[in-house]
Amino acid sequence: MVDATDNRDAILLAPIERTEPGFYWAVGLLSLLILWGAIAYWTQLDEGLGVTGLHQPVSWGFYVTNFVFFIGISHAGTLISAILRLSRAEWRRPVTRMAEVITVMVLFIGAGQILVDLGRPDRIMNIIRYGRYQSPLLWDATSIGAYLTASIVYLYIPMIPDIAILRDRLRKRKLFYTVLALGWTGSERQQKVLNRAIAIMAVLVIPIAVSVHSVVSFVFSMTLQPMWHSTIFGPYFVTGAIFSGIAALIVAMVAFRKAYGLESYLKPIHFRYLGQLLLVMSLLWFYFTFAEYLTGYYGGAPEEMKVFWAKWSGPFRPFFWGMVLTNFLIPVLCLVRLGRRTIGRVLTASLSVLVGMWLERFIIVVPTLSTPRLPFGEGIYWPTWVEWGETAGSFALFALFYLLFTKLFPVISIWEIREGREVGLKEVEERLLTYLPETAEPVLMETEKRW
Amino acid sequence: MAGAAVLFIGGIVTWIIHLIRTAWRLKDVPSASIGISLVAIPVFLTLLGVVVYVFWGLLGDRARGDEAPAWPAARRESDREGGPGWKR
Repeated sequence: MVDATDNRDAILLAPIERTEPGFYWAVGLLSLLILWGAIAYWTQLDEGLGVTGLHQPVSWGFYVTNFVFFIGISHAGTLISAILRLSRAEWRRPVTRMAEVITVMVLFIGAGQILVDLGRPDRIMNIIRYGRYQSPLLWDATSIGAYLTASIVYLYIPMIPDIAILRDRLRKRKLFYTVLALGWTGSERQQKVLNRAIAIMAVLVIPIAVSVHSVVSFVFSMTLQPMWHSTIFGPYFVTGAIFSGIAALIVAMVAFRKAYGLESYLKPIHFRYLGQLLLVMSLLWFYFTFAEYLTGYYGGAPEEMKVFWAKWSGPFRPFFWGMVLTNFLIPVLCLVRLGRRTIGRVLTASLSVLVGMWLERFIIVVPTLSTPRLPFGEGIYWPTWVEWGETAGSFALFALFYLLFTKLFPVISIWEIREGREVGLKEVEERLLTYLPETAEPVLMETEKRW
Repeated sequence: MAGAAVLFIGGIVTWIIHLIRTAWRLKDVPSASIGISLVAIPVFLTLLGVVVYVFWGLLGDRARGDEAPAWPAARRESDREGGPGWKR
């Protein structure tokens, strides 16, 4: 039985109930960056894409890099939250909502990059009116649409009991919370409905998430461009997405742990477990990268080798080797032995991975276009202040959306924490007993008895 | 809100069907459109089904009101005693 007067988790409601000066400073700083981005975009809208560094043959640059990067980070929520839920990992409880919020917010920003890259945003109507499903770009639009819808549903449904708490405890935004709470009273039937819906969504969202980044990779791999036309791109992109998603989640956890005093909820053990996942993904990423480049090098096709050497020792070598350093060397060194200063090491590795994964997207997109297969002249890409401004504005917009979310809803799921205290402990003990020898045998089904 | 979900997902399904019809009319490899929509449309309809199930399940139960409200509805003193707790 849950005590309705339990105020142990009052700190989770504190950011909603009152606003500290730090919040206003953060909003102010982010707003400045967003203003820079807005001015940059307005300049581009007014004068055309010529104000950017984009030109023939490099028609994809920062914007497409940002698009792939942000869509990659969106794997934080769904895969981490859904997989940990399905595997009934109890340590997930303070982490799932943060992860799910990252997914929803970053998908809006990522999809917006395409709008910016179009130059003329009214051309987006052509996708709706004249879209062709032969094009991987339409596959992209469809899969991202499905993923965004699923992520919003997967974020909202587990929030309902917490919204009911806000409805009951707060005086402000009463109508808003009452509508969203859908009449939640916590009755047994409502709990059953909610649990069932969450379980269905956790299962459904995983293949959607995998398909999204596979389809994003198909935009590149379905072409015949050197070092794009690769069968490994699907799993390579998905691996990279999970990798960057975990890193983004860790950074968000550290930020809000500090800002909102959540040390008793986000403990070093959570960072240790996520750090171990990050280490595994770093090794997996390295394996895929090694396989990708070895295959291209061993084949020795002239067009592929031009791009290969441009990355390995040519004009793109700082970005390529920077990618290897930040995605592999630094994370492995930080994470292979997590002794003391766990959170510091995991945060360092995560920040390094975020930089590295952005570099990886850049290294995939730009060098191939700079040394094209068709007989265009080679081109070097130099982003202008417009692209830098748009990039900074996009990151700031994501951070602002996230910050505003934490002012409206608890960033850690209160009901899941309480459920963990009251039900989770007992469930874990029962489960453990079924794994260990010399404990009471569980009741076997008829089919199991034959084995 | 359920209505908004129906409109939104219904709009996406309508759009996908429009793309199939365009490809068919132009005789422009409609199989690609049909193949993709065989996966995409059921996914969207499943999402819609989950949303409608949650709305119907929660709002319908509130309308029935046959069980005493449990945590976290702590507005009334009588809620502190009795009522089912939050459990699986």
